[in-house]
Amino acid sequence: MPTAALPAEGHLLIVGAGLAGYHTARGVRANGHTGPITIFGEETRPAYDRPALSKAYLTGAVAEEDLLLDDPEDPLDVTWVSGVGVVSLSGNPEGTETLGVHTADGRFHPGDAVVITTGASALSLPVASSEQGISARPYVLRNMEDALALRETSLQGLAVAVVGGGFLALEAAATCTERGAGSVTVAAGEQLPGARRLGTAVGEAILSAHQAHGVQFAPPARAQAVRSCTRGHEVILAAGETITADVVICAIGAKPRTEWLLDSAVQLTSGHGAVMCDDTGATCIPGVYAAGDCAQWASHSSGLRPVGHWQEAVEEAAVVAAALTGADPVPLQEPYFWSDQFDLRIQGAGRIHLADEVTVVDGTPQEGNLLVHYARGGQNLGILGINRLRDVTRWRKQRRIRPAQLHSPAAEHPMTVGSHPTAAETAPTAA
Amino acid sequence: MSFKACSLQDLTPGEGLRIDSVSPPIAIFLTEEGTVHAIDDTCTHQDASLAAGWVEDCRVECPLHESTFSLRTGAVDQPPAKKGVRVHTVELDGDDVLVELSQDAPNLPPGVKI
Repeated sequence: MPTAALPAEGHLLIVGAGLAGYHTARGVRANGHTGPITIFGEETRPAYDRPALSKAYLTGAVAEEDLLLDDPEDPLDVTWVSGVGVVSLSGNPEGTETLGVHTADGRFHPGDAVVITTGASALSLPVASSEQGISARPYVLRNMEDALALRETSLQGLAVAVVGGGFLALEAAATCTERGAGSVTVAAGEQLPGARRLGTAVGEAILSAHQAHGVQFAPPARAQAVRSCTRGHEVILAAGETITADVVICAIGAKPRTEWLLDSAVQLTSGHGAVMCDDTGATCIPGVYAAGDCAQWASHSSGLRPVGHWQEAVEEAAVVAAALTGADPVPLQEPYFWSDQFDLRIQGAGRIHLADEVTVVDGTPQEGNLLVHYARGGQNLGILGINRLRDVTRWRKQRRIRPAQLHSPAAEHPMTVGSHPTAAETAPTAA
Repeated sequence: MSFKACSLQDLTPGEGLRIDSVSPPIAIFLTEEGTVHAIDDTCTHQDASLAAGWVEDCRVECPLHESTFSLRTGAVDQPPAKKGVRVHTVELDGDDVLVELSQDAPNLPPGVKI
């Protein structure tokens, strides 16, 4: 068994009460950690799951309590410090500085290990010169407060503009349509939404489902800014066109919430400011780990895994929990994501971003039953299914990736597909 | 009162079969070890058919997320689902898979009604 980074009775500090933070705590408890665990959350709400914020929560089909991660009937044995931001990290690579965190209320919290799971914050469009006194900002969809603001806005008959071509934007467009918006226009930045990343057939399938429900798509120019006036808002596109709307929703990505670490000894990536980690989540400070949307693990940069998926946060939390407690490394799965838009349930898995060949294996873009394979140099790298749960599940489970590597220098190359354990190695044991 | 849900020939080892002649629908599983189980088909977290999930060690993993359910007890192991699924009694009569539905209230996901 690997050595534990955290003594079983040690105090674990988790900064960030989202998916990665919650699952880290859950994981170390499951691995037998008996010492205290403190989870710091900036929001006053208990830890919750985000995917429904652009879907069922936004339509009102599910309530806040349905999204809570912790089970009130079987709560985690942790101390939640909610509504207080963590402002800095203490600790250095030499181990000579006391490990711990400072909170906004001026307190210092020493710990035996720190896990950084502060997630990411939504990006928004710049607000161009608006009429005096009008300061309406676009809606974003990142936390429950964002979603609540949009949920409490009646969309009946209103013109909605959604900026962004990713799944969050497309889900928001579908949800607003279902909520009775008068019109929904998506500025996706490309002719076929998602086609650049996922291939033409998938873009056609998405476009066709949205158009069938009356969603309109703006010319494929990049949105540059939003301008607000008494009549409403205008989204300004690069080509000079504008989209006029009563409600503007921006879903154009997120950036790691690491500004509180700028003065710390942890290393941040130069591009996005994500916390640099090896493939166990370890930073350059002994005892300090990071997971989820705020972190960039070594294999991210070598193209093994994309950043920012739900699945990834859960998996990284399990890997960090194993490293902290000295449990055996957890095998990683292929990257996986899903999206629900109207009656399309889209699931993708594998290293789709590395593929240069896209093949439609079954179904058509118009019928809501598309199955697509992705390959590079003839080797299958990924799969995407629309309403093909069984096919996607089978593909994912038969391709588990190797255990997380303890040492992951920058020289590491993307994994070669096909050399990994298959279902034969993970056959069920006798019941 | 049991009913014939399917025949053994309808089942594939390691996979589930959704039976939607009952409401809420149920899923019948034939494990690689040859045992047959019946549970509610709908994940308790979100509307997804567990019959399409991955079966291993007598548990089924929801095809959408990370929760797995015991085919023997219906218990769930980890979030996002918090509640287990109902387990239904299975009897084999030759090739007929006979199921007696649980009398418990189902744990349907929020927003899903029978």
